[in-house]
Amino acid sequence: MRQARTSVLLFVLVATACTSYKNTDKAETQLAFGSAVAKKGLWREAAFRYEQAIVKAPDNAHAHNNLAVALEANGDFARALTEYKRALELDPNNNYIRRNYARFAEFYTSYTKSSGKAAGAP
Amino acid sequence: MLPRRAVALLLAASLLAAATPAFAGVDQVKLRLPLKPRLPLRGNERIALAPFIVVTDAEKAKDKRLANVDLQGEFHRFLKKQLEKKTKFDIVITPADLKLPTQNLTDLAKDREFWTAVGAQTTSEIVVSGSLEFKVEDRSGYKTEEYTSPIDGRTYYRQVYVEQTGFLFDIVFLVFDGRNGEKLLQDEFKDFRQLSSRRADELQGLFENLFSLENQILNTFVARDREAERYIFGN
Repeated sequence: MRQARTSVLLFVLVATACTSYKNTDKAETQLAFGSAVAKKGLWREAAFRYEQAIVKAPDNAHAHNNLAVALEANGDFARALTEYKRALELDPNNNYIRRNYARFAEFYTSYTKSSGKAAGAP
Repeated sequence: MLPRRAVALLLAASLLAAATPAFAGVDQVKLRLPLKPRLPLRGNERIALAPFIVVTDAEKAKDKRLANVDLQGEFHRFLKKQLEKKTKFDIVITPADLKLPTQNLTDLAKDREFWTAVGAQTTSEIVVSGSLEFKVEDRSGYKTEEYTSPIDGRTYYRQVYVEQTGFLFDIVFLVFDGRNGEKLLQDEFKDFRQLSSRRADELQGLFENLFSLENQILNTFVARDREAERYIFGN
């Protein structure tokens, strides 16, 4: 009897853990899944998940920040800038978002700045 | 021996930890970001490496260690090798008898006639020159460090003598259009390295500097990428 109870408890715990990503109608789930795949370098999938999170919770600053990072990793810098700005608008005091934005701005400025002239240019 | 139930719970907890998504807040991730080349080139131009003004020449008499380093030769060799390895440019080194018209960097940058002549002589579309400065500094001295006594376990501060050598490398890059002598780009790269020995080898120091500047130097001519860190939220 005791053994059976333990087994049931064990099954319930594992089942709960394994289905935690299945609750896809929640923004948090998409966000968590997006971050899990982002850490593995799967930035396109991560961007998709973060976009889904934003659809479900448009005012979630974390989702906008994460989407900006994913877009940056995918080379879509103009959209990343928009997303960073939106994230900061929603949570202006968040130090992580501010730091991300500052580093991105530094990179983006130098990326868009054209310093040299083409050889033979008039 | 642990009771069976405890073992089961422990197992469940560890499975739960492994299967649950990372709700742990903030994570730092690494990205590779592209860096556009500073010069909009086609990628197959002929580039001439002209002499550089060696700023440290005057100090060679004072520092015997600098006298051992052929800065111009080593830098040319390094630059040629890196450009040939990592780009499709055709690299040539200007003839050894080519002398710079001035040792003043500002005047050198303005001498369009000279650069046009160099371009024509080497049949190069691009000519690279500038200035090089390399300094070896003895950074040995007393430094304060924390010390925990094995006798009473208390932390004290003590002065220790640390032998260190600093290597400073400063490059000013001038890039000219070989067809009309026009200056296309002027840029400066600086690096400082510290090695933990008083008599650290100057060539080793020089190459420590050069390898750390390699990406920036190459980025003048070709696209590179660099690693960046960002924060993402797990929930």
